[in-house]
Amino acid sequence: MSRIFVTGLGIITAVGHSVEANRDSLSKEISGITKAQFLSTKYTASLPFGEVKISTDELKNKLNACEKGVTRTSLLALHALAEAISSSKLNTDELRAQETALIGADTVGGMCLTDELHHDANTREQGSEYLASYDCGSVTLYLQSKYDIKGISNTINTACSSSANAIMYGARLIHHGLAKRAIVGGCDSLAKFTVNGFNALHILSDEPCRPFDENRKGLNLGEGAAFLVLEREEDITNKHVYAELSGYCNSNDAFHPSSLSENGDGPFLAMKGALESAKLSNGEIDYINAHGTGTENNDEVESRAMMRLFGDVPLFASTKAYTGHTLGAAGAVEAVYSILSLVHGEVYPGINFEKAIPSTGLKPVTAYQKKKLYHVMSNSFGFGGNCSSLIFSRV
Amino acid sequence: MFYFHHINCISPQKTFSEIDLEHINTPVGDKLLSVEPAYEGIPLNILRRMGKAVRMGVGAALKITRQNPDGIIIGTANGGMEDCIKFLNQVIDYNEGMLTPTNFVQSTTNAIASQIGLMSANKGYNCTHVHRGLAFENALLDTAMLLRENHGHQYLLGGIDEISAYNYNIEFLEGCFKKEKITGIDLYKTNTAGTIAGEGSVMFLANNNPAGASGKLIALRMLHCYDENDVAEELKKFIRSHFPVSEQPDVFFSGENGDNRLQKYYDACEQAFNKETAVVHFKHVSGEYATVSAFAAWLACHVLQTQKLPMHFLKYAHSKNHFKNILVYNNYRGLQHSFMLISAS
Repeated sequence: MSRIFVTGLGIITAVGHSVEANRDSLSKEISGITKAQFLSTKYTASLPFGEVKISTDELKNKLNACEKGVTRTSLLALHALAEAISSSKLNTDELRAQETALIGADTVGGMCLTDELHHDANTREQGSEYLASYDCGSVTLYLQSKYDIKGISNTINTACSSSANAIMYGARLIHHGLAKRAIVGGCDSLAKFTVNGFNALHILSDEPCRPFDENRKGLNLGEGAAFLVLEREEDITNKHVYAELSGYCNSNDAFHPSSLSENGDGPFLAMKGALESAKLSNGEIDYINAHGTGTENNDEVESRAMMRLFGDVPLFASTKAYTGHTLGAAGAVEAVYSILSLVHGEVYPGINFEKAIPSTGLKPVTAYQKKKLYHVMSNSFGFGGNCSSLIFSRV
Repeated sequence: MFYFHHINCISPQKTFSEIDLEHINTPVGDKLLSVEPAYEGIPLNILRRMGKAVRMGVGAALKITRQNPDGIIIGTANGGMEDCIKFLNQVIDYNEGMLTPTNFVQSTTNAIASQIGLMSANKGYNCTHVHRGLAFENALLDTAMLLRENHGHQYLLGGIDEISAYNYNIEFLEGCFKKEKITGIDLYKTNTAGTIAGEGSVMFLANNNPAGASGKLIALRMLHCYDENDVAEELKKFIRSHFPVSEQPDVFFSGENGDNRLQKYYDACEQAFNKETAVVHFKHVSGEYATVSAFAAWLACHVLQTQKLPMHFLKYAHSKNHFKNILVYNNYRGLQHSFMLISAS
């Protein structure tokens, strides 16, 4: 089977509008969790968010994306996609070729426009310009049309693991000879809808989140987008290779619609399956970019699943204390961070951590460190028990 | 690619337990609503909390989960839209007050696949494809890849979408539906814009075992383009790569839906066939929705098994007395196109 290499990266989050800007914030331990400026919800007064620090109008102008009906979610996606395409130096012919696939992922779609959606779903006249922009598929369809991408295209929604599955799907298309290259990733923007949904579940923290800390109070919602360009080793000439996508697995926890089982079967099976698919042993994982949302349930269960699988748990941390939980974008955002760790030989520390969870005693990395890394695992677990793990390796 | 087994279809017609495609239900207004079964096997307290999409999905899937599939792959453009907007309405109506999360949790598009996984304790692969008019086709492709990757496995595969008051309203504002009253096959005679709304849930067990199969998916092709000539060219290539020069598919399922803005695609594709091929339309029984190709796949398997094609499905009289294979062409909103070639097992 061909090896699959990452030849392009693009990202936009609360800690930066480019790959370099994100790396800079992570290395300097600068968090993007702040008071929201652009999100419209009454909770901006009481809850912090990982908001991308640019208005929707500025994004439109910057990207020259002034078509009717374009949403913030699509604009964030376009921003990250453009960077990924340029970093992989894909030309127009390559983008339009049948063998180029585009696989996106998101959970919010155009629902960031909560008030417009409320109007359009309930009123029989004067539809807004966003009628065709609410569903998750609308984002990828916009990107497809914008770049005239003709190959296989898909949108995946497995809640918070969506873009990890988009990365897997793209890699599998390449393995099966259905695509020569795949542009894969995901996005989501902050929405009154999700803020209220997560708030109703009582899992939003009114302070910057504290992944894996005993006194964690919940997660912070974030937004962003990230895309990766995947290509077969033998097709790459004269191009920078960031890393190899060496393993992946998707499993279901089959326990509860919105929380993980005590022993974390789903997370355990996803991590174990990813190791098997990468043909690696437990001891070979140097660092785990954990899902680590900062909720009571996730962090304890994820810790337990890591202990079950690894015994001696490798270095790990969650970067959600920087970006917030970017939902459908999280898998791709954290894939980019895992790759940056490999490329630059650096471990980005968990922040806001003080005391380990008593039942596990596990401590995330808390100081930036230089370290040669060979294999990094990235975890994404979502509502509905949708768990996926990816492994990236040094090339 | 793979075989379809154990198919369950919930649709606006009698397709679930006792199948009757001779006497068809006609639309109420511009909607063809599903005939929902009694949903045996779902505990009442759980059933009550389920939105329609989740209910139809689980209802069609449960029996198949007894075969212990190795994973669950669902295509749905909108999932539980009804729950989604119910929650959204509460957010607005109660000015972001304290809300109950039930509708929110059910509103995520992956709720159908995850609820099936949860109720059948299935810890295998679980994925939801939501690429609008190609959501089910991507679920087919995912399944085909999984079956090549994992020898001897079998998967629960499905396509579902519901008519909720809300997605209906949004699509109504977009001009998707006919203004005039439609009964049955009149749909194709209107020469006006719009179609009728439909919904349904079709679940399959997919594996590589030909024994006892209901049908076989031979090939699948997806396209993203606006030009009807490009679509017809691709269709010709698709036919040529799967049939000898002198042969044609026995039946052509045309996804035409009475919308005169889309007829040019179906007309161009129909030109790819010679007079030997029987031409069938089916959206007067299913209505139009993003994952209606799952219904078309069910119907294709049913026709191949029973060798019966009731008159109302036929666009023209035909002289075939045996059907070995069916080519389905579907088109969603003039942009997303798919070809599926299905044969008798």
